[in-house]
Amino acid sequence: MTFFVDANVIVYAATASGYRDPCLRVLEAVAAGRADGRTSPAVLEEVWYVERSGRAGRVDGLAARAYAIFTPLLPVTDEAFRLALEVRGSGLGPADRLHVGTCRSHGIDTVVSADSGLGGLRGLRRVDPLDATALDRLLSEGG
Amino acid sequence: MYTERLQILVSPEQRRRLEAAARRRGESVSALVRDAVEQHLGSVDPADRLEALEAVRGMRGRYLPVDELERLVEGERTGP
Repeated sequence: MTFFVDANVIVYAATASGYRDPCLRVLEAVAAGRADGRTSPAVLEEVWYVERSGRAGRVDGLAARAYAIFTPLLPVTDEAFRLALEVRGSGLGPADRLHVGTCRSHGIDTVVSADSGLGGLRGLRRVDPLDATALDRLLSEGG
Repeated sequence: MYTERLQILVSPEQRRRLEAAARRRGESVSALVRDAVEQHLGSVDPADRLEALEAVRGMRGRYLPVDELERLVEGERTGP
């Protein structure tokens, strides 16, 4: 099954915290072709900003490495933008709305993210990387 | 270098759309199909993906909570 990978999963795979190991598991499964985790240029742009800021420590080259793992990226299309504009009833900002629109435009109903703001949206299930049971199930469903 | 010949069947409608798209882009149908393959499969081979993964595994970044990450991205977008 195809799922969407949020920027925080990529950043947390490269940073020291309890999120590191589960987020690395996601990247490992995608890199090895065992899971169909996809992301978009909009997500990698966020990763790039985090890398460039220097505030997340030594993560030089993270955006380029993430690109190598996730290419081909999901295109952020006209339809994705239209669907982003239609996201209702949440406190999500434009970037997260665009991710939701990208998921919907590609028929993706699951997002892996540490951001609880992406939970509770119609037709989109959030898997928290710290939810070992849900992550195991997602990654075992294959690519 | 292209050394592999691939013969595929498409519908008349798909052929028409391929030829129209190739004309618009000023290139051959073959070039268009090769480009579509790259877009669909990505341009990085499996060994390079695993090498990228190992590079990420070797990074030692500093944890920032989700809300701080989002503020950071917004701040970087808008500049100083």
